Amino acid sequence: MREVAVAGIGLVRWKRYGDQEIYDFGSEAILNALKDAGMEWKEMQAAFCGSVYQGTGSGHQVIKEIGMTGIPIVNVENACSSGASAFRLAYQSIAAEIYDIVLAVGFEKMPRGPIPSTAFRPYELKMGFNFQPANYANETVRYMTETGATVEDFSRVTVKNRKNGSLNPNAFFQTPVTFEEVMNSRVVATPLRLLHCCPTCDGAAAIILCSKNKLESKTNRITVAASVLASGVYGGANPVKSAKFPPSFDIVELSAKQAYEISGYGPEDMDVVQAYDTMAPSELWNLEKLGFCKKGEVLKLLKDGELNIDGKLPVNTDGGLMSRGHPLGATAAAQICEIVLQLRGEAGPRQVTGARIGLAHARGAGPNSAVTILKR
Amino acid sequence: MLIRGAPSGSGKMSSKKKIAVEEGLWTIPTSPGEKPHLIGSKCLSCGELYFPRKKKGLCIHCQQKTLEDVLLSAKGKIVSFSVVEQPPAGGFYKGPVPYAYGIVELPEGVEVLSLFTGNLVELEVGMEVELVIEKLFDDDEGNEITTYKFSPTPTN
Repeated sequence: MREVAVAGIGLVRWKRYGDQEIYDFGSEAILNALKDAGMEWKEMQAAFCGSVYQGTGSGHQVIKEIGMTGIPIVNVENACSSGASAFRLAYQSIAAEIYDIVLAVGFEKMPRGPIPSTAFRPYELKMGFNFQPANYANETVRYMTETGATVEDFSRVTVKNRKNGSLNPNAFFQTPVTFEEVMNSRVVATPLRLLHCCPTCDGAAAIILCSKNKLESKTNRITVAASVLASGVYGGANPVKSAKFPPSFDIVELSAKQAYEISGYGPEDMDVVQAYDTMAPSELWNLEKLGFCKKGEVLKLLKDGELNIDGKLPVNTDGGLMSRGHPLGATAAAQICEIVLQLRGEAGPRQVTGARIGLAHARGAGPNSAVTILKR
Repeated sequence: MLIRGAPSGSGKMSSKKKIAVEEGLWTIPTSPGEKPHLIGSKCLSCGELYFPRKKKGLCIHCQQKTLEDVLLSAKGKIVSFSVVEQPPAGGFYKGPVPYAYGIVELPEGVEVLSLFTGNLVELEVGMEVELVIEKLFDDDEGNEITTYKFSPTPTN
């Protein structure tokens, strides 16, 4: 397997696009990535397009705005890990020397309100088990029982991520919130309040990958150290767990373990991390499952400010899902873009000083867990 | 063991029928005093337990086709729960709001995702709960759609 480089990235402002469609802002993200890479569309040899709710041939609809060159366009639906799954396919096709230059893109125009997931059986839908904040709330209650974490801890995560998001001109929310505002927001599904839940919005993010010999830039040498996807692990708490045969590794732990083995790095090597924060508490347990500390120990890191941009372990530097917003198919691609910006030293006021290695993690329904490690 | 589950459309002569939200999730008592039970699957090879029962008879843990239906304990304790303050997306759920659901662990070790009934503000992790079959909602034809729920066990 040969080394694969990130040639360019492209983002758009994440917001509610109203009359504009995925082909409007999705194509804009791709054009921004081409500009960033110093490449032309005709150089792309394949395109992998992540989305969840965008219907038939959505990637084709987006790419039609740029140019139809006969290259294979593959649409990837893998819930909230779709963007990272598209990235992984692009990465593999270059590593395996099938192509030299490939586009990975994620885009989504979200319906208003709670996510309308259909990953449930008919009776489960009728019983109301498809309310994602409540499913996370159940996982949260289990986590609180096991670790002693409190609702106050979750509110601190939101405050941190909203502060980071105020430094990100592409984020959906660019205003900080106070601890009191989070604690006083309305209850959605006990113990979670509105400001513990990420907002949905519309958005897109694109990444162009290439073999090293095709890299135009001599200065921005970001390469892919690992791109891993793990799907359902037997017996894990999703939502019920097997009492007789619990897994040796939870799905997130498994994806992290594989990414560390492939990259040769460990959690101690990571300078910047995007950990999946679809609900504020999930950032905490995901950091533990990604191996940054033992179960329950992340609470001290959080309280000591170590997860802040100037801390020992900066997490969700662009505001995470909590600020950036959550257009399902685009989210995991944007996490990777943020790591690229940080490693290039181009993250502006939210720059982590001297970041050289970073990790992006996206947990999706299914379940899926994607871990991407980049280095410079 | 073959267990007959609640059929959908088990109404008698009345125009308003009681219809199970899904066939085969629980048993219908045939005599007074008998209580309903959830129907699960037990693997005779590895011992794994499932709820709901696996319709294909295949154990997804050991891959053997050695599952048999079992009646699960009607009592358990709350592992986690959430009181939901708004209806979920999609319009599939037609029951009351707020409503509560979460995970109940039964004595044999199997975890069940279930609705809760009773005084929702009194729910607690570790609380003893008991299976009940109750109305979920009335459908457009006036039939009562029933479902399984767990209710805090009355303390005597």
